[in-house]
Amino acid sequence: MVPILKHGKFLIASIVSALTDQDLIQLRDELANKIGQVRAHGVIIDVTAVDVLDSFATRTLRDIARTVKLRGAKIVLVGIQPDVAFAMVQLGLSLDEVDTALDLEEGFSHLRRGEERSRHAG
Amino acid sequence: MREMGLTAQNIERRRNFVGLDSDDSKRIVRIQELVEGHLEELTSVFFAFLGGIDEARPLLGNRDIIEKVRLLKKEHLSEMVRGEYGTDYIEQRVRLAVVYSNAGLASRVFLGAYHHMLRALGVLVMKHSEHDPMAGFESYMSLKKVAFLDIGIIVDVIVFERERVIRQQQEAIRELSTPVLQIRERLLLLPIIGVIDTQRARLITDSLLRSIRANRARVVVVDVTGVATIDSKVANHLLQTVTAARLMGATAIVTGISSEVAQSLVGLGIDLVKFNTVGDLQGGIEEAERLIGYRVIQTTDNGAAEHMKEA
Repeated sequence: MVPILKHGKFLIASIVSALTDQDLIQLRDELANKIGQVRAHGVIIDVTAVDVLDSFATRTLRDIARTVKLRGAKIVLVGIQPDVAFAMVQLGLSLDEVDTALDLEEGFSHLRRGEERSRHAG
Repeated sequence: MREMGLTAQNIERRRNFVGLDSDDSKRIVRIQELVEGHLEELTSVFFAFLGGIDEARPLLGNRDIIEKVRLLKKEHLSEMVRGEYGTDYIEQRVRLAVVYSNAGLASRVFLGAYHHMLRALGVLVMKHSEHDPMAGFESYMSLKKVAFLDIGIIVDVIVFERERVIRQQQEAIRELSTPVLQIRERLLLLPIIGVIDTQRARLITDSLLRSIRANRARVVVVDVTGVATIDSKVANHLLQTVTAARLMGATAIVTGISSEVAQSLVGLGIDLVKFNTVGDLQGGIEEAERLIGYRVIQTTDNGAAEHMKEA
């Protein structure tokens, strides 16, 4: 179970324990629903406490990112640990499609920068 | 002790190597009193031998050291015939060996002195057991097992101490070879110089990722001016480093790819679209500053500006 918290226009999903594949799929579905419900502009997925991201987790995260984008929100993945990042590149997992930031704070400023930019553009 | 892996288990194995068991202890204890009575004499044999040898000067030249070593050697002899060869005994051996090693005593010199002392010990034992030479010989042979146990430890310590210096130097080289420098708040510089092999690439990536975390970096400038050749393997290592940095939320800018390297990379058909490249280090830093939102303003009018005006 991953709790999804709401903060202003943003949703935060903080993954605190090792996730089963089932948990990830559930997270994807819940996020997709909740974005519509609360009219969220951005989603932050925090993996600070995760010490391994395998190929299935990576693929699901990518799917989540695609789903969120289709639902009209921005997404940023925060808190990948050095060891996890290293292991991922060794496995050839690069998560090119997903924006990343150092931690929750950086994730917020990343999303806000994105909002400002689109406001200027609009 | 722990560094060298001298656990109770390892000591047990060492005893098994030389075949030292409780029967030996019993046979050795029989000559305990005899040896205890001649400690001074036997110690003198050891040091008399060293006295005649040039290589032993560093050990014998210092009065403080020699007093200490004599004391430890006497202690050694009396412990040697006590029949207990556990952790305490080994710990004493290591302590004496460290003194030898610090004084620069080579293992071959030590072996000579030790052999002389053992020979004197043998003569002593045989003389004492004229009435039962067989028993004397057995005691001496058991003692020899202890002696070989000692030699094993002492030689290992001397080698280990010498290797310690090499290990320290290797560590220093490793640290020097992968510096990660912070040049502005949230901006890191990673200058890579020399050859990148798999192991080094790993270290570079590792220290970069840790620095990104520690300094909360947003942009990293990877300067490869000092890398003479980049083949597909090295390019792949660089790509991994850049990708890993991005996963942690930092943007990497690669600078300093020379024209030869660029041509050879293109020639090899290596696709580096993922690389964010800027010609030289200066340009890379300027680009990084722009990304983070710095603007550098010149505050004093110096010669360079004058020159520009004239031109």
